Amino acid sequence: MSHDHGHSVVVPAPGPGFLPHTVAHHFDTPKQEFQAAKLGFWLFLATEILLFGGLFAAYFYFHQVYPETFKVGGEQLNWRLGAINTVVLLLSSWTMAMGVRSAQVSQKGKLLMYCALTVLGAVIFMCIKFVEYQAKFDHGLLPVFGGMHDALGQQLQWYTDHDGVMAGVPHGNLFFSIYFTMTAIHGLHVIIGAGLIVWIMFGAAKGRFHANYFLPVDLVGLYWHLVDLIWIFLFPLLYLVP
Amino acid sequence: MSAHDHAHGHDAHGYGPHHVTSTKTFVSVLLVLLFLTIITVAASRVDFGAANLLIAMLIASVKASLVIAIFMHVKWDTAINKLVFLSSFLFLSLLLIFTLSDQATRGDDDPLRTVKLPVDNGFVQPKPHAENH
Repeated sequence: MSHDHGHSVVVPAPGPGFLPHTVAHHFDTPKQEFQAAKLGFWLFLATEILLFGGLFAAYFYFHQVYPETFKVGGEQLNWRLGAINTVVLLLSSWTMAMGVRSAQVSQKGKLLMYCALTVLGAVIFMCIKFVEYQAKFDHGLLPVFGGMHDALGQQLQWYTDHDGVMAGVPHGNLFFSIYFTMTAIHGLHVIIGAGLIVWIMFGAAKGRFHANYFLPVDLVGLYWHLVDLIWIFLFPLLYLVP
Repeated sequence: MSAHDHAHGHDAHGYGPHHVTSTKTFVSVLLVLLFLTIITVAASRVDFGAANLLIAMLIASVKASLVIAIFMHVKWDTAINKLVFLSSFLFLSLLLIFTLSDQATRGDDDPLRTVKLPVDNGFVQPKPHAENH
């Protein structure tokens, strides 16, 4: 470790059962460390908004061109499962907010409990997503962009729509391309977020997070809320196609 | 509840200011979010025509604002953090406005001929004569 300043800044533990935090050597004060990390994370979240923003632009564009395709496509999704998942994510967002709060007031047990509940929400969400995806695969609705062929020249059979549910509308695979791309990237964020929360739990169990140092809990919390934020828009757009 | 509720941080120690939101506030926000989810489903059942999309996005925006302001603590965050995050929505709106206004006016042919082509009629741009030999 570098000791350019002759000493490291140490944030003391607020009490027994907690660990002190050593401020990274390139920061002068804990406050500077906190604000730099927060600013960096907000920048990252801004890029996340723009990542999903491109996909939302694609949605609105094609919805404008083929409203019937989106209407019929949306009817193939189970809105009840979508609504349950919305409630699950809202509840998990609340438990995460409560987890960050628990860290801020040095309540180790509550922090662990709220993190565990949030991960439980993530697991329930992904299980429901799995059931939904399975049903779409069974109906041959996994999209392939227009007539793709494999190496042997055989046409790929991902999007067969063998039950003909999209037969009456043009470009049925367009809706499912957008549905799978958006929900899969969102689902990836759910999985990454749950992994980060588990990582927080390991640190929390050791007593790393408390009123004097809760930065990682705060940042992971922000990431989890973003997952909720995206879903708030995905649910009405995909399941209740206007 | 406890003395920590709405206490504006522990800045006296110099570990950075932070705002501790009360449990009551978080519970109220959660209840409003759940209520608005019911409204979202209910509103989708009524046929408002083209306004359905607008209404759905309006409700979603209210929900998103609550999550951002309260759950993500943006309400109590520094001005620079607010600017950085909220500016992403400004850039997103630019992307959406230009893309969708472009799409909405696609197929508008030469205004002097006042012909409007449908978007998906298989229209192919004729090649210049030079290439037709």
